Amino acid sequence: MNHEKLAKLIVEEAIKRGVEDVAVLNSLEKSRMVRFSNNEITVVKSWKNLVTNLMIGKKNRVAVSSFSEISFDKIKNNIQDLVKIAESSKPKQDYVSLPTGPFKYESKQIDENLSSISVSELINYSQRAIESALDEGAKRVAGTLIFNHDDIVLSTSSKSFGRDRTQSLEIFVRSFITKEASGQGISCSTNKKDFNPDSAGLESAKIAKMAKNPKIISSGRYDVVFGPNIFANLMNNVMDAASAFNVDAGLSFLNDEIGSEVASSLLTIIDDGTIVDGPNSRAFDDEGIPTKRTEVIEDGKLKSLLHNSTTAKKFNTSSTGNAGWIAPSDWNIIIKEGSCSENEIFEKLGKGLYITNNWYTRFQDYKNGDFSTVPRDGIFEIKNGKIASSVKNIRISDNMLRIIRNIKEISDRRYWVRWWEVSTPTLTPYALVEKVGITKSVF
Amino acid sequence: MEDLANFAIEHALSNGAKYAEARIQRDNGSAVMLKNGNPEVSSFVKKHGIGVRVLLNGAMSFASTNILDREHVSEIVSEAISMAKSIGSKYRKDISFSHEKAVIDNWQVNPKEKVDSIDFGERFDILFEIEKATNSCCSDFKIPNRLFILEIEETEKLYANSEGSRIRSKVPRNSFTYILTAFKSGKGTAQRINQKGESRGWEATKDWKLNEFIIDEAKTLGKILNEAKTFPAEKKIDILLGSEVVGIICHESCGHPFEADRIMGREAAEAGESFINLEMKGKTIGTKVVTVVDDPTLPNSYGFYLYDDEGVKAGRRELIKNGEINSFLHNRQTASELRVRSNGSARSEAYDKEPIIRMANTFMDPGDYKFEELLEEVSNGIFIKNFMEWNIDDKRFNQRYVGLEAYEIKNGKLGDMIRNPVLEITTPGLYKSVDAVGKDLLFNAAICGKGDPAQGVPVWTGGPSIRLRNLRLGGLSG
Repeated sequence: MNHEKLAKLIVEEAIKRGVEDVAVLNSLEKSRMVRFSNNEITVVKSWKNLVTNLMIGKKNRVAVSSFSEISFDKIKNNIQDLVKIAESSKPKQDYVSLPTGPFKYESKQIDENLSSISVSELINYSQRAIESALDEGAKRVAGTLIFNHDDIVLSTSSKSFGRDRTQSLEIFVRSFITKEASGQGISCSTNKKDFNPDSAGLESAKIAKMAKNPKIISSGRYDVVFGPNIFANLMNNVMDAASAFNVDAGLSFLNDEIGSEVASSLLTIIDDGTIVDGPNSRAFDDEGIPTKRTEVIEDGKLKSLLHNSTTAKKFNTSSTGNAGWIAPSDWNIIIKEGSCSENEIFEKLGKGLYITNNWYTRFQDYKNGDFSTVPRDGIFEIKNGKIASSVKNIRISDNMLRIIRNIKEISDRRYWVRWWEVSTPTLTPYALVEKVGITKSVF
Repeated sequence: MEDLANFAIEHALSNGAKYAEARIQRDNGSAVMLKNGNPEVSSFVKKHGIGVRVLLNGAMSFASTNILDREHVSEIVSEAISMAKSIGSKYRKDISFSHEKAVIDNWQVNPKEKVDSIDFGERFDILFEIEKATNSCCSDFKIPNRLFILEIEETEKLYANSEGSRIRSKVPRNSFTYILTAFKSGKGTAQRINQKGESRGWEATKDWKLNEFIIDEAKTLGKILNEAKTFPAEKKIDILLGSEVVGIICHESCGHPFEADRIMGREAAEAGESFINLEMKGKTIGTKVVTVVDDPTLPNSYGFYLYDDEGVKAGRRELIKNGEINSFLHNRQTASELRVRSNGSARSEAYDKEPIIRMANTFMDPGDYKFEELLEEVSNGIFIKNFMEWNIDDKRFNQRYVGLEAYEIKNGKLGDMIRNPVLEITTPGLYKSVDAVGKDLLFNAAICGKGDPAQGVPVWTGGPSIRLRNLRLGGLSG
């Protein structure tokens, strides 16, 4: 059965069983992945999954489910189970009915060349990335290439119906010169034309070469230029904090103080579900509301949180088209570009650190924003605006609000970043941040 | 379902695979969530499908589907074969598996009370009681944000491979996750995020006595806000670490760096590598009182299993033994490369994930000391009972744990509460500072992440209280 028809049947079946609200999100996902390490391909993987996600509301009770049946009889059983679960649950105090459609959704073209990409091409891209890094001087190259294609259908009891396809091709490459000298390069695109595995391999090896012979530095506060990879990770954390669910749950350092100054006036951070080349753009959210562009922080001021219908009612505002039936979440993160070139940002730094990448960001307290994260790959000491030496074994130990308030420059060129540590695709420039807390092991 | 697994294996072999395995896995889970006293949602997830892995010409491929009929299984097997054939010899890793005995077995964890024997209304009633208990102890502080989640799940697997193994299993699990944010005007916030989890029936949730437990947790947050002071980082001190901190240490700076796939570079692009290399086996990394173990077979443990997802029998693995690097965690691939036997460490989160090397339940082996004995020999120090923030570099060498409930120790006695003490230390620096290990072994539940796509598997982390000598706190002023 085609999954448009399936979605409509599920809605009809749930309504027959007395629910007041029902939304179905059917996803037919095809993905392939090539993983490599030590200059060799270690595994190739593929997935083909049809998943039904179902939300029902009955007498102010909300129940959601995810299952993977293709037989309609089994699906009917699941609907029956979910209705029973809702009936035996407790009413939600701030229950909101699904938004009433129909809505008009923007249609988008996807690169059909990419949709039909073959395994051989994916393997060839991976090999090109390895070769490019080795040619630049890398000794060992590791990485992952991912192709995702998702065909999504949404149908609700409130007359919303939509179908959209999303796809992306991503590679991240990590080159090693020695065990301690590594670099990462990324290419991330929604079409074949802009996908460049060679440059990802090259970039990773260039950084790795510069990262040789790292030295130890003292703990203290340093001015830091963050490269796109690490800045994307930090901005993912800022956007997580903008989810109204997280604000309500105490998992955010942003409060609902719209208009307050939360960051440097140089920072404008936008969520955009509509951007044409956004790897995660989608026409509608999980409640059927058309996605849009939402300025979350504009010129340093908190302009909006991300909302679904439930959080919007609680915060006395409108949905921003970011549902999530339980929690609103972001689509693509866009950081507004600044005015200085990448060379100028290092000149303005003068003396300090350049950190290219990080992992393992963890909070001591989400509410106040105290956190630490571990830089990896190229970390450099900058003197007179130039790389003076490579650095190792440091940690950023600071507060997220303090970081975004201390942004002093943003560069004028932006890069798409998505990889293992950056879950929401982020279009980001370099950023110069003043007085960043840097710590290291004491023993 | 065994027919479908057999069909997948036969189809793979007849198309040139040297080795094939099929794992049909069903994960049924459900949850209720209460946020700030409001029933947010009830949910269930049913995940059921087949994952097939093949070796062909030395190349490995994995494919999966949740459409469980012969047509689609045939399609994914053909895709796996085609993918393996597409890798040219220049960039192909030549993979083989260690020789292991084929096993036919059927094992399960038998619950006293079925995990799904309690309806959703009753589960919410339990959370309402927890909510009430939490609010009851907020006399001179507030807990404005409270999030409670009760989850149950049951995992059923059929594992089959072309060497004749056929293993069926069934494991129930319970977990309780809580997030509390306490606030007091002028004192800021203190936050606790933690989880309980066991592979047992519903009786586990009952045994946790969650009302009493949450009252202790909430009161502690209040004490932190009301009483905790900063501690000078420059002082040389002894540090006692509680079970929860010891557990995360054993997981992060012993379990992970001892995973052979990390050591050999397979996870380099994402989870990273290891400061350990193969030649370090037998070298001293800690004092003689340090023995760190990973054991999937601990009864009731959150990471419990008897056979791994490559059909290899699981057992206790002593990673560090009396301070020496003793053994690594292996799957059949790394075991073959090093010409040893697999120690049953391959795990997969779900049918659509390849099995990779994982921990199960990692802990420091208990010693002889009572907690009071550890304490009484410290004249100047601190006790870090639990933590919130933690991380470690991708070689697993530099780590940081920031204490939540912590106390000053003066002349063998616990004194004032300490606010957010930072232990920032290298792995050898830590294990070589341990001079005494307690007998109070306890475990904490967690979900461990690794792999690409990321796989979260249930684990226990554990240990007794331990004592570290002559250290300084880390952090920005350290």
